[in-house]
Amino acid sequence: MFANKPLIQCALFLVLLCAVFSFATPYFLSLDNMMSILSAGAVIGLLAVGATFVIAAGGIDLSCAGVMALASVVTAYALKNMGVTNPAVAFLLAGLTGAFIGGLTGALINVTRAPSFIITLGMMSIARALALILAGGIPIYGLAENITALGQGRVFGMPAAVLFLLGGFVLAGYLLGFTRFGRHILAFGDSAMAAHATGIRTNLLKLKTFALAGFFSGIAGFVFMARTNSGDPSAGMGYELMAITAVILGGANLFGGRAHLLGTFMGVLCLGVLQNGLTLLAISTFYQVLFVGIVLLLSAFLRRFSARAS
Amino acid sequence: MSNSLTLENISRNFGALKVLQDVAAQFTGGKITALVGDNGAGKSTLLKIMAGALAPTSGTIKLNDEEIAGLNPAHHRARGIEMVYQDLALAKQHHVAANIFLGREIACPLTGLLKTKEMRAQTEALLEQTGIKIPQLDRPVGALSGGQQQAIAIARALLVPPKVLLLDEPTAALAAKEVDMVLDILRQQREKGLIIILVSHRLNDVLAISDNIITLKHGRIFNDRKTADTNLAEIVQDIVS
Repeated sequence: MFANKPLIQCALFLVLLCAVFSFATPYFLSLDNMMSILSAGAVIGLLAVGATFVIAAGGIDLSCAGVMALASVVTAYALKNMGVTNPAVAFLLAGLTGAFIGGLTGALINVTRAPSFIITLGMMSIARALALILAGGIPIYGLAENITALGQGRVFGMPAAVLFLLGGFVLAGYLLGFTRFGRHILAFGDSAMAAHATGIRTNLLKLKTFALAGFFSGIAGFVFMARTNSGDPSAGMGYELMAITAVILGGANLFGGRAHLLGTFMGVLCLGVLQNGLTLLAISTFYQVLFVGIVLLLSAFLRRFSARAS
Repeated sequence: MSNSLTLENISRNFGALKVLQDVAAQFTGGKITALVGDNGAGKSTLLKIMAGALAPTSGTIKLNDEEIAGLNPAHHRARGIEMVYQDLALAKQHHVAANIFLGREIACPLTGLLKTKEMRAQTEALLEQTGIKIPQLDRPVGALSGGQQQAIAIARALLVPPKVLLLDEPTAALAAKEVDMVLDILRQQREKGLIIILVSHRLNDVLAISDNIITLKHGRIFNDRKTADTNLAEIVQDIVS
C-alpha cells in the first residue's frame, strides 16, 4: 500500500544512519548512548507528537515551542511562588496551559478563517512574550527534587524523560490511528469538503486538534523544565521547525490527510541519531544544522522521485 | 406510505444576487426528478439547500410533513437526506471503507477503538448489494477510476438507507460504461422507493433515467415536465428560451 511507503523510507534511512555512525565511532552503538538519544529527543519528540496532529489535519503549528516555553514558565512559577508541590498537579498545569493556548489558537483560526500558519505565527510571539513577562525575562530556577527527578531521574533503569516520550507517542498513536477522532482529523486534512459533507463538525475538530497539540507542547514544557531545573522563557528557540522536520521525515503529508505517529517517532530518532552521531564525531553544531537541512531536502526529493516512479 | 419532500417558497440570496426565488416543489418516493438549467440557474444551490450544506434565505423544507430545521449536513443526514456532491467529497488518501463510513464510524463505546473489520465487512456487503465491483478495497480511493469513485460516493450515501438521495452531476466525468453503472444503481434505488433528485447537464442521461424534469431559470422553476411526455428538443428549448 503506497500509504506506508514514506514510512518504510524513513525506517531505512534510520537504519542507514545507525549503520554509518556505528562504523564511524565505537561510542555510538551502546545502550547508554541509545538512551541518551531518546532522552535528548524527548522534548522535540513531544512537540512533534502535537505537530503530527496539526499536520494530519492539513495545518501547521509554528507556536508549539513558544507554548512549550510558556508552559514551563507557568509551571515553574506555580511551583516556586504559588505553593504547588505535587508533581502530578504540575504536570497537569503544564498540559492544560498548553491545551488552553492551543484551544485559543484553534478558536482564532475558526473565527478569522485565516491560515493556521498566520495564526500560529502570531501565537508563537504571544506565548513567548507572555513567558518573558511572567518570568521577568530570566529563567525561574531551583525547583524541588521531586520535580527535577521526573526529567533527570530514572524509572526502572530508564530515563524518566524517555517514559514521557514513549507514553506520549503511545497515547497519540492510539488517538490518531485507532479512534474516530483520529480518523476525522486525517479525513479533514485529506478533504475538508468531505469531512464537512459527511457531517463532521469541522470547527470543533480544528479546535480540539490544536488544543491537543497544545497539550503535548505543554507536556514538552514540563519535561524541559524538569530536565533543566528551570522554567525558561527562551526555551526551545527553533524547536518548532525541528518538530515539523521530524513529522515530515516520518512520512506525513504536509498538506494533510496522511501522518503516522510511528513515522514521527522514527523522524525524531533520525534527527536525534544524526545530532548524536555528529557530536560523537566532534563535528561542529553549525554543520549539524546544515546536515538536518540536507536530510530534509533529501527526504523531499526522495519522496517526489518515488511518487513519480510509482 | 411513500415518502415526500416538499419545498415551500425557497429563496437564497448571495449578497444582492438572488440565486433562488420562491421555489416550490414536491418530490415523492420511487421517482427520479432531474433538475436542469443553464449555468447559474440555481440547480446546485437548491440541491445544497436540500442537503443542509446551505441555508435558505427564506422558505421551508418538509420531509413527510415534518419541517427540517438546522443548517448542517449532519442534521439532514440524520433525517435521511443524503447528497452525492459533484466533486464527490471523498477523502482520496483513505481507503474505501474509511470513506464509506466517514462520519459514521463504528467504534467501541468504551475504548473508542474503531471496529475496522466490522466496517470493512459491512462495506463489502453494501457494495455487493448495490452491484458495485471494486477489486481492491484497501487502495486509497484516489487511485481508483472516476466511475469507481462515483460509485463509492453513492454507496456512502446508501450506507444508512436514506429517504432522499440528492446527486449533483453524477455522470459528468464518466465514460459511457461507467455512466451505465451509475444509472443502474439509481434505477435500483428508485425501485426501493427512494426520492431521487439529480442535477445534470447531460440531457441524454437525464432522459434515460428520470421520471420528470424540472427546468430552473434565473432561480425560478420555469417548467416541470414528465419525461415520458417530452423529448430532448423541448428540454433544450426550455433551457435556452
